[in-house]
Formats: sequence, structure tokens, C-alpha cells
Amino acid sequence: MSHAAAARAVLDPAHAPPFPKAALPVLRNPQLRKNVAHAIDVIQSKRARLVAEKTDWQELRASASAIRAHVLDHLAEYLEQFEARCTAAGGKVHWARDGAEANRLVAGILRDEGVNQAIKIKTMTSAETQMNPALEAAGISVFETDLAEIILQLGEDEPSHIVVPALHVNRAQVREIFSRRMEIPDLKDDPQVLTAAARHYLRQKFLTVPAAISGANFFIAETGAVAIVESEGNGRMCLTLPRVMVTLAGIEKVLPRFADLEVMLQLLARSATGERMNPYTSLWTGVTAGDGPQSFHVVLLDNGRSEILKRKTERQTLKCIRCAACMNACPVYRQTGGHAYGSVYPGPIGAIFTPQLMRLEHAQSLPYASSLCAACYEVCPVKINIPEVLLELRARVTDRERRSFGKFFDPLYWGLRVANLLFSRAWLFTAAQRLGRIGLRFFTRRDGWIHSLPSVGARWTMTRDLRGMPSQSFRQWWDTRPKEGR
Amino acid sequence: MSARMSPREAVLNRVRAATGNAAPAAESYAQLPRNYIRRGTLDAEERVQLMIERLREYDAEVVECAPGELPAAIAAQLARSGRHRFVAPAGLPSEWLAEGFEWKVDRQLEAAEIEQTEGVVTAAFCGVANSGTIVLHHSPPEGRRILTLLPDWHLCTLRASQVVETFPEYFSRCEQAPALVTWISGPSATADIEMTRIKGVHGPRFLVVILVRDRS
Repeated sequence: MSHAAAARAVLDPAHAPPFPKAALPVLRNPQLRKNVAHAIDVIQSKRARLVAEKTDWQELRASASAIRAHVLDHLAEYLEQFEARCTAAGGKVHWARDGAEANRLVAGILRDEGVNQAIKIKTMTSAETQMNPALEAAGISVFETDLAEIILQLGEDEPSHIVVPALHVNRAQVREIFSRRMEIPDLKDDPQVLTAAARHYLRQKFLTVPAAISGANFFIAETGAVAIVESEGNGRMCLTLPRVMVTLAGIEKVLPRFADLEVMLQLLARSATGERMNPYTSLWTGVTAGDGPQSFHVVLLDNGRSEILKRKTERQTLKCIRCAACMNACPVYRQTGGHAYGSVYPGPIGAIFTPQLMRLEHAQSLPYASSLCAACYEVCPVKINIPEVLLELRARVTDRERRSFGKFFDPLYWGLRVANLLFSRAWLFTAAQRLGRIGLRFFTRRDGWIHSLPSVGARWTMTRDLRGMPSQSFRQWWDTRPKEGR
Repeated sequence: MSARMSPREAVLNRVRAATGNAAPAAESYAQLPRNYIRRGTLDAEERVQLMIERLREYDAEVVECAPGELPAAIAAQLARSGRHRFVAPAGLPSEWLAEGFEWKVDRQLEAAEIEQTEGVVTAAFCGVANSGTIVLHHSPPEGRRILTLLPDWHLCTLRASQVVETFPEYFSRCEQAPALVTWISGPSATADIEMTRIKGVHGPRFLVVILVRDRS
């Protein structure tokens, strides 16, 4: 239950503090910053090497981008096709308008199957709908099986990255969590030993728990198949051993044909973990007699996605294949880690996806959590122009503020109103310059620099110096310059 | 009105309204750019060498043999593994079940029975050299999915003629889309703790590939 409480407190965008405030505790935690920077450096250097060896990388990106955009343009058709083929293959397809409906559906399916325990493969979508607390409340025990998710579930922590969710935790911290929660007093902090502890802890669960919950990397419209990309084999365990299987994923995850995987799989692992290919990718189609779960359900989740689809610029957000290359490349994420984003989707993709899922009613600070350097766009395997969407969202946030009454209490609003006045009348502008020059003279040292300012100005001079005002403005110089006869 | 609509109708209507697209997808699908590399450039020998190199980079063990030597090569690897109890897919050629070991042939074995075996021997559908990927379509000699999952040791046979260079070449080998696929690229692994790659979390910790040098 404490896990549920923590989830609500930390990673619910509706209750999370704004980004600049949420980032502060991280920026003051050198251990956390070191853990994040280390992990990112490792992924980045591996990715760079493996992308460089791929001579057709840009052609693959172009294809992947076009395929994903095409799917979104024809989403209804592909969803209906997927539903028909999956149903024909023995699967049962359900639809959910929002997260709460999805959680109720999954709880209902498990209850109808007479199941009160479920094992889970890492799924970002179920984190988005806050499914674990909802299932626990419905009397269903949920066990995460991804190593990182076990670390987080047992440590009552929250994911900070979409591919390596526990990247902010180091081996000593993992040792402490496992030792306490698995009751192994003399555990060593060697990753090999810690991994073996997780393997042992989960083996019995895999063999006995009757139901599994997964996400999906791709739905194949042509065949009704579902694909899952993973490393550890916990995914394969979940899709093979239990008798009941429920897959929850967003409606945007469709690909037209099986053969489209030839593009996506070449891009995904290289972008995500810097490997030529991840250890295991599984694909299954409905129910196969004698192999794997004999009861298979898919829940297709909207939860704000159809709203994102409406806007031409923002629509590309849904092309995302969740590789996390954008957060690994982001100079802001590198400093703050994932928790500061207050959402299960951190980093640049989270900065555009989360506020849109919240219909801009929450998480309005996230579009500003970027320097617009475009490193994310450069690495994105499906070419989502994240800076373009960030700017669009900033404009929408500003538009909303403009229409609100609260703006009258914002000093920035008054500052900009005054600036507007000054910049629109030349005589006022000149007068303000004069006044500024006189005022700043008190603070300018002999070296020509301003080292400290009072009040609002201190926000600038706290971390950097300011060049003193020159004795003459450009316009003054222009008017008084010696004129050469021409 | 949305209160009386089923969730399915509601979601599909919203999606249709958002995209406002009535044109069938097939036409524009055919126009999608596909300028990436489809066919490899290596000759047969180089292709097999690349496959072996990639597999070894993943810490898989690779041995080569001539077609006639395969049963003997399998027996040698089983002996080397130091294990005794093995499981075999129902469709595995009987001459691959080397004598001197305890075999369970999978005719809908229970998970608990498979869990007690120490290793598994299977065939494969295809190998992709570029990424060192072994593809299982779970046909009778490749076995049900559970067989290559629970045992700690997986011996897989792959003929040189089954090895392709690129991923697109594998997809063009599939005459129709398979219902079940497992793409395996090295033994199970994780890098969740400090990005240190650790072999063998839940799947087999050991992957041995016997590459059969048939004509390709």
C-alpha cells in the first residue's frame, strides 16, 4: 500500500510540483546525479558506436518515420484490422477510453478468470494508468518481474527512465533493498549476485502465478500479432507460463504489416540500449493450442491519445516507439534525472507527451524543461521533431495563461507589459536607457563589470557577472559620429 | 450521446474525427520510402563468419560441423556441458537424441517437468548474421516456446544455408507471417544495475550453437 501512496505522491502529473521545483532535490543530491550520469554515459557511447556502423541509419529513420506517420493517419482502419485478426486468432480485444476504465477492465478480466495474483512485464502504459494500486485495491496481488521494476517495487521507489527504470539506483542501494525485502542478510553488492537473487526470488512466481499482464511494443494489423522487445527473459516467462494473459497498450502502437518490423527492430535496440539486437523479441498471435496462455486479452487504451491526434504538429508525438534515446541525449535530463518530470514518461518525450495526456491542465511547466538544443530530434529513430512540439505547447500554455485571471498576479506579466510600452515608443525607450545607465552606475565596479545586483537582478548576478552599461548607446554614437563628406 | 456508446465506438469515433481520413491505407502504404539496405553484400563464407563472430560477441558458444557429423557433434556438446537431463521438442530428429543421457520428449510436458531438465536441444528457422540473431518460428523441431525458456542451457543447430546477412532478407524468407516468433540474440541478459551486462536473468544462461556446414 505504501507503494501506491508513493506513486500518487511522486509520479502523478496531476499532483506533481512544477519541473523547476521538482528538479531541486535531485540537483542537490550528488549520489543520484552521479548514478544517472554514469548510466547515461555508458548507453550513449555504446549507441554512438553501433549507430555509426550502420551505413543506412538515416534511410531506416526515414522509413520508420514514414511508417509511423502513415499509421497515425489511418489509425482507425488499422485498429479495426488488428481487432478483427486478433479476434480471429482467438484473442479477445477490449477498448478503454481512459486509464480508470482500463484498470477496471483488467481487474474484471482477472476476476472472471478466478485469479487473484498476476505477474507483470514492465509496461509504461500500466504505470500511466496507475494500474498496480488499482489492482491491489481490487484484491489482486501484482508482482513486477523486470529486474529494475523489482528494485523499484521492493524499494518503494518510482521509475526514472523508460528503458532502464532504476538507473538512478546504484549497486549498494540495490543490495540494501534486496537484503531487506528478500531477507538475505549476507548479500554481496556484486551485480552478478544481485541478479541471481532476483532470478531465484521470481522463479517460483513464474511457475505458479496463473495470470500475466504485459504492455506491447507493436501490434501488427495484418496478422493481429503482438510483439514484445526485452532483455531478461522475464517477458518470455510471462507470455508463456500463465494460463491467462492480458496485454494493455496505447492505440498508437500499431504497425501495418509483419515485415515492417524489419525497420523497427533494426532501430529500436540500437537506440535504446546500444546493442545490435536485444536478447529476446517475442511475437505471438492470439492463442496457439498447446503453447502459452489459452486465454488472451488485449486492452486498447485511448486516455487522451485521440486528442493528441487532432493537432497536426502534435500528432507526431504518437510516433514514439519508447526507445528513450531522447532522454539519454538530453542535457536537461542528464542533470535532473527522471523523477523531476513528475510523470512515468520523463525526458524530452515526456515533456511533450505528459502535458498533452493531461490536456495541458497539468504539467504545464514541462514544455519549458528544455534548452531547445534539438539533440533529442537528432537521435530520435522515428524523427519526432520534439523542439517543434515543445514550442507549440509553450504557445498553447501561454495562450491559456493569457485568458486566465491569475496572470494579473504574475510579476512577469507586469514586467512584460512595461517592456511592451517601452519598446513601442522611441522617446520612452531612450529615457529608460538613460535612467538605467544612471542607476546601474552605482553597481558597476572599476573593471567595467556588475558583480552583484539587489532584488530580482540578483537572480542573474548570483551565478554570473553582467557587463556594465557603456557610456554611450549605439544610437547616441550614430547621431554624434563625425560625418565624412561623401 | 457518448454515455450510451460502447467504449469501442467512442474510441474509434474520436480517432476517425481526429484524423478525418477516409482514404484507404493500402495506396499510401505502397508509397512509403524504403531506401534502406535490403540485400547483403557478403559471400556465403563471409556471411557465416560474421554470424559466428556476432554470436561469440554475445557470449554464445559456437562450434562447426559437416552435415554428416551433426549427431556426433550434438553428443559431444551434451557431454561437454556436464549435464544429464535434457528435454527435446517432439519434432526433433531421433538421431539427435544422443545415447547416454536422460531425455524427455515434449508431448505437452508440464512446466514443472521441463523445469527439472538441465538443457534443451532444438533446430532453428533462420540466422541473421548482421545482428547474430537466431530466429525460432516454433515449428515441431524448434519446439514450444517454453522449451527454450526454462532450461538453463540451450543447444541450437543452424545450417549455413539458413543464415542470411540482413534483417530484411529474413523477412523476405517468410512466405507468410508466422504466428509465433522468438528472435534470440545471445543469452538472456540485463544491464539494469549500473549498466553492467549480466548474463542469464531468467532465460537460458548458456547458448550453444552448432553451425552445420551444408551447401548454401
